[in-house]
Amino acid sequence: MLDRIVDFGLRNRLLVLVLGLLIMLAGWRAAVRLPVDAFPDVSPNLVQVFTVTEGLAPEEIETYVTYPVETAMTGLPGVAKVRSVSNFGLSVVNLYFEDGMDVYFARQLVGERLQEARERIPEGFGNPEMGPISTGMGQILFYYLEDATGTYDLQELRTVQDWLVKFHLQTVPGVTEVLGIGGWEKQFQVDVVPEQLLRYDVTLDEIIERIETNNLNVGAQFIEKNAEEFVVRSVGLARGVDDLERIVVKTVDGRPVFLVDVARVGTGGAVRRGLQSRNGTSEVVAGQVIKLFGTNSSTVIAAVEEKLVEINGILPDGLRLVPYYEQKSLVAAAVGTVKGALLQGVGLVALVLLLFMGGLRPSFVVAVSLPFSVLCAFLLMDQLGHTANLMSLGGLAIAIGMMVDGTIVVVENADRRLRTAAPDANRLDVVGAACREVGRPVAFAIAIIILVFVPLFMLQGIEGKTFRPLAWAVALAMAGSLVFALLMAPALGAGLLRRPRAGGGGEPWLVRQLGRLYAPILGFFVRRRVAAVGLALALLAAGAAIAPRLGTEFTPRLREGTVVVALTMAPSISLEESKRVVQIVERRLLAIPEIEEVVSRIGRGEVGAHTDPVNSGELFVLLTSPDTWRTDGTQEDIEDLIRHELGDVPGVLVNLTQPIEMTIDHLLEGVSAELVVKVFGEDLDELLSSAGQVAAAVRTVEGSADVQVDQVVGAPQLLIRLDREALARYGLNVADVQGTIAAAVGGATAGRILEGVRGFDIQVRYPAGARDTADRIADILVSAPGGIRVPLGDLARLEEIVGPRQITREDNQRFVSVQCNVIGRDIGGFVADAEAAIAEQVELPAGHLVTWGGQYRLQQEANRRLTVVVPVVLALLALLLFANFGSVRHSLLILLNIPLALVGGVAGLALTGINLSVPASVGFIALFGIAMENGMVLVSSMNRLVDEGLEPLEAARQGALGRLRPVLMTAITTGLGLTPLLIATGTGSEVQRPLAVVVTGGLFSATILTLLVLPALYPWFTGRSDRSGSD
Amino acid sequence: MSLPIIIAISVLLAAAPAVAQDDLEHDDHEAEAHEELVVMDATTRAEFGIEITAAGPGVLRLRRTLPGEVRANADRLAHIVPRYEGIVHDVRAAVGDRVRAGQTLAVVEGDASLTEFNVRTALGGTVIERHVSLGEAVSRDQALFVVADLDSVWIDIAVYLRDLDAVREGDPVTVSCGRHDAGIAARIGYVAPVVDEATRTATARVVLPNGDRHWRPGMFVTAVLETSAEPVDVAVLPSAVFNVEGRTCVFVETDEGFVPRPVTVGRRTDDLLEITAGLAPDEPYVVHGGFTLKAELEKASFGDGHNH
Repeated sequence: MLDRIVDFGLRNRLLVLVLGLLIMLAGWRAAVRLPVDAFPDVSPNLVQVFTVTEGLAPEEIETYVTYPVETAMTGLPGVAKVRSVSNFGLSVVNLYFEDGMDVYFARQLVGERLQEARERIPEGFGNPEMGPISTGMGQILFYYLEDATGTYDLQELRTVQDWLVKFHLQTVPGVTEVLGIGGWEKQFQVDVVPEQLLRYDVTLDEIIERIETNNLNVGAQFIEKNAEEFVVRSVGLARGVDDLERIVVKTVDGRPVFLVDVARVGTGGAVRRGLQSRNGTSEVVAGQVIKLFGTNSSTVIAAVEEKLVEINGILPDGLRLVPYYEQKSLVAAAVGTVKGALLQGVGLVALVLLLFMGGLRPSFVVAVSLPFSVLCAFLLMDQLGHTANLMSLGGLAIAIGMMVDGTIVVVENADRRLRTAAPDANRLDVVGAACREVGRPVAFAIAIIILVFVPLFMLQGIEGKTFRPLAWAVALAMAGSLVFALLMAPALGAGLLRRPRAGGGGEPWLVRQLGRLYAPILGFFVRRRVAAVGLALALLAAGAAIAPRLGTEFTPRLREGTVVVALTMAPSISLEESKRVVQIVERRLLAIPEIEEVVSRIGRGEVGAHTDPVNSGELFVLLTSPDTWRTDGTQEDIEDLIRHELGDVPGVLVNLTQPIEMTIDHLLEGVSAELVVKVFGEDLDELLSSAGQVAAAVRTVEGSADVQVDQVVGAPQLLIRLDREALARYGLNVADVQGTIAAAVGGATAGRILEGVRGFDIQVRYPAGARDTADRIADILVSAPGGIRVPLGDLARLEEIVGPRQITREDNQRFVSVQCNVIGRDIGGFVADAEAAIAEQVELPAGHLVTWGGQYRLQQEANRRLTVVVPVVLALLALLLFANFGSVRHSLLILLNIPLALVGGVAGLALTGINLSVPASVGFIALFGIAMENGMVLVSSMNRLVDEGLEPLEAARQGALGRLRPVLMTAITTGLGLTPLLIATGTGSEVQRPLAVVVTGGLFSATILTLLVLPALYPWFTGRSDRSGSD
Repeated sequence: MSLPIIIAISVLLAAAPAVAQDDLEHDDHEAEAHEELVVMDATTRAEFGIEITAAGPGVLRLRRTLPGEVRANADRLAHIVPRYEGIVHDVRAAVGDRVRAGQTLAVVEGDASLTEFNVRTALGGTVIERHVSLGEAVSRDQALFVVADLDSVWIDIAVYLRDLDAVREGDPVTVSCGRHDAGIAARIGYVAPVVDEATRTATARVVLPNGDRHWRPGMFVTAVLETSAEPVDVAVLPSAVFNVEGRTCVFVETDEGFVPRPVTVGRRTDDLLEITAGLAPDEPYVVHGGFTLKAELEKASFGDGHNH
């Protein structure tokens, strides 16, 4: 079949070439419009349901909001896990869908059930809504409003943000949400003076009702007048403070009591759960631009930036939007790093081709395979809906050297054949024969390379999402290179390759020199096989000795280029205190000369992108230009500097992170710990005690470290316990009293004031002084039937208690988690011991369930998969080899290359001091394929020589010598193709480098051993069996 | 020959899932937390606004704010009725008129005698009500005028059940009307021995001199009762007291650093707390910035405190 493909290409050269050109054009188009992201998106496939219920404690949120939402969502198809957090005033239900499920379909499913959930949530307890259609990578740009005049107050600024900036930004294609934070949201405040209520004998409820019924417009169809229609509308909307003040709340004997008589009416800031601070001194108003799922980051960011300029033009004088975080620079940096590597790789490969092929024409044919394969990969990536990012482009960079390999072999063979062919032979026939000769091994070699990347597709979780794009890119590019080698290369070669002019023949100078050097060494090893075996064994032993000493780590951290100082403060902290602490830290940071500006987010603004409580602060550190730094300027240096200079902050946990890393950590919610024991149950107190006992039991197990019970309590509450008997004495209902408490202390919304389309809530509440301490709250008067007024203190007991700061649930059950790390032993054994210890020491109440999770679970799963996949892949490799050679021995001989290549990879890691990590493992996987490719080329060439009647020993020698050029070329091109990644220091290089090191190192050892050991062993593997008959 | 394969697999297995030994960083504050000691240098102290002061004796002023109403002094009030039934021939006083004792307010023609007689006020004061017009038929069970001596008024304060025990005759009280009134100091003159059945409140009364007629009957007033001014030995500011792991504590400074000292809080007002145990008189305590110390103590336990 392969022969037929080659023949087809040769016969229809024009067609094939035009087809190739078309593919390249289509690939170019795809490359241009392919969405570009910085990193592969590792966010879980998640739909979030938020419900904001101002003022409600976690317990009530759970009962009234979270639980109804959760139950409405049960049984949705494709839901892997439901996890919820009930916080103060906010319920978040996270629906984790299975990977690969369409986001819009999932949202549609959730949307349908949301209707059901809305019906189950009591009136006035909030409206559940889905989060933005975005992912952890979606926060593309943060900005703040700079006020150069200093005349705008925070409330005005926030109004500008919410009603001007936001609206304009939301119209940018690809922007799904703009979330404001900081400053004060404007609202109309009606501060009802309690004494005035007594004086005029009105109640809070009456006031709220009066405001609501005195603020509306209606339409009343039309009247006809003189053949014209007049639309009738009645305008009664309150338009501001004056209108509100004139609302009549009561009329006695025809004398009206106006709202202004019982309340202070004005505008003020709404209750807020977050703010934005800058440079340790001032508060600012800020916004976050969230990108729509699946859109091209670079395009959206560019459009947003354009819009920002436009908005700056229409903002009031002195106001300006200042972006303080942009993913653009990150995308540019990440893509730039690999792009650079790609281009340098291409250049180096072209150089090698020239040197080895010794002619422009064959070099050209080979070089064309590079753009063809890359563009082909882009085309397919576009078709498959992939994005271009650090990893997929990195995959292409890695594959550069390998992409040309197939074509090198084909063209080299054709070139060689043309040199040696009889002068009268048909050029087309010679090329055809040459191509057919190597077509099979080339096809198999490329198939093997694709095959070895299969295990990467099996990786799960973050690793899977990180490395799958790389595997895809390699596989697609290799597929493209296969098409080129079999179809295009013969067609191009037939047209371009010339037989050498008389006298000018022979191989290029470099190849001849190398051949001269190689021949005696090869001769030595072929004659003394023991030496060859010894060399191989010695190297293997060395590799085995080094391997255990390698450090290990999980995936190296991707550097985003932006440092975020994440502060976690005490859970009971107030927003004001939180701001004070954050600003102290901001000032400390500004004392570091490298830091130019610090912009911090405390708590949450508009709900959507994140749901941080007020005890969390995220300080974005903006650096001065690198040439003024005291250090070399890597992100690690800056982080060290910050860590060192910031020192310990009392009462605050300081953690250095990065914007995307931080967001994704939040979305993953706690699986970052190595081992998590979750105790499920009903009662919070019982759960806590169970979790405490579990923690104690786990602590007794050898190897446990950092055992910690998740701190779910710690939020102080003022609990107002109603005395039902007292209520009965006054003829009151619970709801009456609670209504008063909610409205007087928390405030109630009595409609909105519309200023054009801008709507502002009317908030009715007691003034601050009448509700801000427990004693004042006890003084609040409740109206009982018969005109009696009773202070709350006579109806209820007020207690200060410490309540839960949040209630976490998973799969419809409350749980408390215990985190743990394991030191110095394998986790599997540890878990077994710990389970035994828990069973022995902890007596769990009925209904309590203990499960194990965390990173350990994922690893176990990955392990299980790999133990199946890797042997299967190896078996398939062996099968492919067998199919090619028809000989078990030869297949084994080639498989022998693998351990020899691994040695080089291990040595490479040891020499560079890089840890054994997931990317390094990916490198090892790639090595499998590359190492075997060369072996195949050699062995098939030797087999042919044996078939032609040579002694195996001589065949080994001649075959190796004859194939020195392609073997060296493929090895050197692959190696050089990776070199730019080896030396790159830009964003993302930290992930690519381990891979490049392993492949380069492995290639080095594998090539040397292929060229020396394989020819020496070949006769052994051939002599005694099938081929012996040909002597 | 399967050896290399085994090596390959084992290397791969060791590498691919990699071991996340060191990805969790932990600060080493746990030890500190268990010692319940916070060490802080002077710079940080100033930075975080931690202030120390001595727990001195203090005077607790317990206050109650209660609603009240201005009423005419019932001891200086007269209801003026006609001696006989009759028809009103003349009305000589209007509401608001100041009248002397014995002054004629109206002239009525008796039904029986058909002679006119004068209706005179028994009390000098101000006419605050008039229920009579010319030509009206009046009888003895109907007051034609109410005359009050507004030189003094009553302030009737509604005392809720929970405050009843704390309100005594003679207690100082500040009475004010409206938002802009500074109020006037007085003393409770009377506390009703019974509680109103409808409102379940008792009345506490203040008699106020009213020479300038500032207090008008019917006015709504706010009375701030200072139910006691009690001297205590040890008092701290409310900003100093925290709940530290379930105990009520005040932070004090020792040679090693700050430690939480469990205390018992006695009576409390908005601006001062009585400490009945745990703190000696004149002992220095952390009056501001205690929250930072509390947070530092709890730091180890609030872990990586995001949503999970």
